[in-house]
Amino acid sequence: MSKLWLIAKDEFRRNVYKKSFILALLSVPLMLAFNVGIGLIVENLEKDSTPIGYIDHSGLLDHPVSAYDENASAAVPIIAFTSEEAARQALLAKEIQAFYVLSADYLATSDVELFYMEEPAGNATSQWYDFLQANLLANYPPEIAHRLIEGTRMTIRSPGGIIEMPAGGPTLSTMLPLITSVAFVFLLLFSSGYLMSGVIIEKENRTIEVIVTSVSTTDLVVGKVLGIVAISLTQLATWILIAVLTVAVGGNLLGLTWLQDLSINWIAIAKVVVIALPSYVFAAGLMFTVGSTLTEAQEGQAVGSLFFMLHILPIYMIVMIVENPLGIQTTLLGILPFTALLTTGLRSIFTDIPLWQITLSAAVQTMCAVGALWLASRAFRLGMLRYGQRLRIRELFRRQPSLAERRAS
Amino acid sequence: MHVVEIQHVAKSFGPVQAVTDVSFEVDRGEIFGLLGPNGAGKTTTIRLLLDIFKPDRGTVSILNGPMNDAKNNLIGYMPEERGLYQDTPLERCLIYLSTLKGLSTTEAQSRLEPYLERFDLAKHKHKKVKELSKGMQQKAQIINTILHKPELVIIDEPFTSLDPLNTQLVKDVMRSLRDQGTAILMSTHQMHQVEELCDRIVLIDEGRDVLYGPLDDIRRRFSGHAVLVRAAGALPHIEGVVDTARHNNALKLTLASGVSPQQVLQDLMANDVTVEKFEIAVPTLDEIFIRVVKEGGQ
Repeated sequence: MSKLWLIAKDEFRRNVYKKSFILALLSVPLMLAFNVGIGLIVENLEKDSTPIGYIDHSGLLDHPVSAYDENASAAVPIIAFTSEEAARQALLAKEIQAFYVLSADYLATSDVELFYMEEPAGNATSQWYDFLQANLLANYPPEIAHRLIEGTRMTIRSPGGIIEMPAGGPTLSTMLPLITSVAFVFLLLFSSGYLMSGVIIEKENRTIEVIVTSVSTTDLVVGKVLGIVAISLTQLATWILIAVLTVAVGGNLLGLTWLQDLSINWIAIAKVVVIALPSYVFAAGLMFTVGSTLTEAQEGQAVGSLFFMLHILPIYMIVMIVENPLGIQTTLLGILPFTALLTTGLRSIFTDIPLWQITLSAAVQTMCAVGALWLASRAFRLGMLRYGQRLRIRELFRRQPSLAERRAS
Repeated sequence: MHVVEIQHVAKSFGPVQAVTDVSFEVDRGEIFGLLGPNGAGKTTTIRLLLDIFKPDRGTVSILNGPMNDAKNNLIGYMPEERGLYQDTPLERCLIYLSTLKGLSTTEAQSRLEPYLERFDLAKHKHKKVKELSKGMQQKAQIINTILHKPELVIIDEPFTSLDPLNTQLVKDVMRSLRDQGTAILMSTHQMHQVEELCDRIVLIDEGRDVLYGPLDDIRRRFSGHAVLVRAAGALPHIEGVVDTARHNNALKLTLASGVSPQQVLQDLMANDVTVEKFEIAVPTLDEIFIRVVKEGGQ
């Protein structure tokens, strides 16, 4: 096995057994499980199949028509009472969760009184209004009445037609590019953090001095990066697997509506990935550089926090991005290193990002990645074994004398 | 052909001039001492040798040419500080580092077993490195340096943290390697170990080589400055003696520059002194070191 692969294998093995890796691996699934759990709780809290009652003084409901399928499991029976006293007794006996009183001049004033001890569940309230509307529209043909009650289902589309969103707001499908970019941001922060701390620790315990006299700088740098890439792929594969399981379990078994009918906009996701890959290498190169130049792990953590802040900067500018996803400032954020990845994910929800902007952004990230790798190699050579002595930035860019020049001098 | 040839190298880090001008050679089958006070530039010189740093000036030849990646497997290097993964079990750590030196895992394992036995580390091989004592870590480090049978061993302070028994063991190992033709470059502050082991030395001070050559020659060179004399009765005044001090059962006469021991002996004889003992005071390496470094004189 070549030394490069030995380094990669060791880097992988050294990190995957760390508690921090296990935590990072589980953080996203736990977040997903938390969201699904919260969704389930909220949905269940909003449901109560205890009947609701009404007293109609207006005569509208003398011959009521049903708006709801009363056989459905979520249906709430609607019971007519002849007097408020009878309804009150039923409420106190908890036979009903609430009752409504339609005034005699309801049709003119739309006055309705509601009596309850605990606020009625969301499904009961909406069912009552559906029932009321169905009876108000009882003289219309059923399909017209149904359409009026259901309202309009509007879909908002981008001019190119690639981005579409329900009028009610983004769905999970439209959020997928953002989720992808957030996943990559986490991935690059975690893994480049491993890389940096690994380099600093090896520098601190002087292992690096033995390593650099055993393998070439290229094998060392590339091997470590490959090891970290393998860790990231493990993380990514685990997250994808858990996401698929979540969709399957949450959507099909638990019946969570927001996980059903999930469609994937591959083009938008591809645009994010095109920017994510060089951004990943850029972050890894920078963290390696930092690891090579710093002298203590604590300093590394401080720099890591700064990198984190830079990467999540678009979150603080979310209003600007949402309001004007094709504006100059937003476009710039989508091109600049650090902010490009998350900005692209956010913009993808609201607009179809022009291809030239994606290409330009990917090119900028690629150039930065190449520069960061060059810098990492330089910093490693110059700063690796300077214990207690910080490497100056200008030294990184100073030309080294050639063998002939050294001989001549 | 020298195994190591370093000519007029210089290296600075920003404003700090770590090495100003150092030259020396190391040959096959010798133990060579690289000496110098703290901060003299020894470690930087070793790193220049290993191509960890590029020199600003001068040339370095190692195993017949400039250092390259192909030569990594032919060199064993033990830095002064521990260079082992602290959270890794000892055996796994040593096998991994050996595979980076070109051994297969099986080969590394089979070579490691006898060394672990010999260095009394076999029963600790599953412990994490950080759980071992400093002496054990030092022994592990030495094993790591020589396991792949290098042609050149560069070893920085090999006897740190070792008890007399293990010190003797390491010395035996070093002598055995030398007898097999391995070139050993040893950097240490323990002068008595250098006197016992090294054939030749270079002394670096403030980034320059200030003393270089075979150990015997150097001691001879410095020995002319004093003689040990035991005589019946008091000594008369002798020309050229600048200081007289008691030394065990004799007197140590420090001679002025240009005065030879023969002249002193002739003077003693001329003064009818009954000389019971006359011996050239051979300085210890410690004394030479202190004289060269503190007094700056040879």
